[in-house]
Amino acid sequence: MAFKLILGAWLSIILIVGFSFPITTNPTNWYDLPFVPGLEDKARILFFHVPMAWVTTLAFIISLIYGIKYLTKKNLDYDIISSSSAGLGMMFCVLATVTGSLWAKFTWGSFWNWDPRETSIFVLLLIYGAYFALRSAIDGDEKKATLSAVYAIIAGITVPFFIFIMPRIVEGLHPNEAIVSQGKISMNKTMLVIFLSSLAAFTGLFFWILNLKVRAARLESKYYLKGE
Amino acid sequence: MFEFFSQNALYIVMSIVLIGWVGIFWYLLRLDKKMNKIEKMFKE
Amino acid sequence: MVESIKIILTIFKKDLYSELRTRYALNALLMFVITTLSIILFSIGNESVSPELLSGVLWIIIFFSTMSGLSRTFVSEEERGTVMTLHLIAKPLKIYFGKLLFNLALLLGLNIFTVALYLLFVTSFSVGNYAIFITTIILGTLGLASGSTIIAAIIAKANTKGTLYPVLSFPILLPLLLTVINATKLSVENALFAEALGEFQILFSYLIVLTVISFLLFEFIWKE
Repeated sequence: MAFKLILGAWLSIILIVGFSFPITTNPTNWYDLPFVPGLEDKARILFFHVPMAWVTTLAFIISLIYGIKYLTKKNLDYDIISSSSAGLGMMFCVLATVTGSLWAKFTWGSFWNWDPRETSIFVLLLIYGAYFALRSAIDGDEKKATLSAVYAIIAGITVPFFIFIMPRIVEGLHPNEAIVSQGKISMNKTMLVIFLSSLAAFTGLFFWILNLKVRAARLESKYYLKGE
Repeated sequence: MFEFFSQNALYIVMSIVLIGWVGIFWYLLRLDKKMNKIEKMFKE
Repeated sequence: MVESIKIILTIFKKDLYSELRTRYALNALLMFVITTLSIILFSIGNESVSPELLSGVLWIIIFFSTMSGLSRTFVSEEERGTVMTLHLIAKPLKIYFGKLLFNLALLLGLNIFTVALYLLFVTSFSVGNYAIFITTIILGTLGLASGSTIIAAIIAKANTKGTLYPVLSFPILLPLLLTVINATKLSVENALFAEALGEFQILFSYLIVLTVISFLLFEFIWKE
């Protein structure tokens, strides 16, 4: 309970701080955020969009781990965790894609540019979509659990290939690549602290919602067991 | 006060997002409590 | 070792003979390629299309003909009710490799046919470096066969088989498709063989990774 209240307060503080700290060309005060040419106020997306993308990946990894656990132990409880995590991951994936796309329109000029990271999140979205399409097409809990776990593993194995492939096809547009090419990292200490605490807060939020989802799914399966 | 907000649109956005988050947070908290109750009911 | 190769070959031969007898997949696939190609030729008309674009179109034909043909291998067993018999006569891994071999043979034949037609009829598509082109076709075929065989095994257990197949395969085959399209572009641009080496490394490692993971996971699918 205490953990949840702290999380609520924490994310509220991040929202206030992330929006209200001024962006100046020459950061001197502790609360000043650095000015990035071409980004200005749009740099604030960092505090909200990147954690969403991180949670998407985290959810996929958790889904993968519990999928493997299901295959070795054949315990349906692992499948409940695995599929709940994938469901949440898909939601965060849509959020990250939409926020990123909206931001890209005003920074890079179009909603979609096939930048390496845009491509990989698009592929992740496709995988999540295919995963749930597969689940809805199979009858029987155990069959559903096994096949979707196998599919998640095969799909997860192919994702790292994009790290090698995409740079050969298009050049990166994402801000961190632009920042590195200028020869200095323009994220100052304040920005880094807000960013990292936002990452932690979003991770906490993800685990909380996952916990709720898993408990609801467990109750559902218990109800069906009782009914039969 | 009103003048300050009309000149700094960012703070209006901030309060809207903040209110949205507080609403979601409140809802999650209620859901958590309800889930505890139902879990207890199932144990009996 | 010799024994298991024999069993794998037996399964391969069984599929090959039943395919040659019924020509279920083969005829439909050849017609599919001809239909798609004629649509593309109609839509090109007298326009001059850049060969870079056409190298992408070639792989679109190959991808969709793979998607319409290769799901049959496991689905047909399921439909004819011969799965239990296969369970009895061979271990899962041997069945997997037998099926993989058959899919590979089917896809290789199909791709040779497609590429030959494509080179003959799409006049604005001319290959500069044939060494790159042929290596790309071979490695691409191997990768496609490996990826689509394991997905076909999953599909056979689901209810809506036909529509689900491309949906499940696309995210998995996307790294392969992007790389082969890139490599085909290089062959059209008459690049040196060394320039395409990076693409071949990716294709090769993709093939190895996907075959190994299918090899490890096939048993779980087959036993369901």
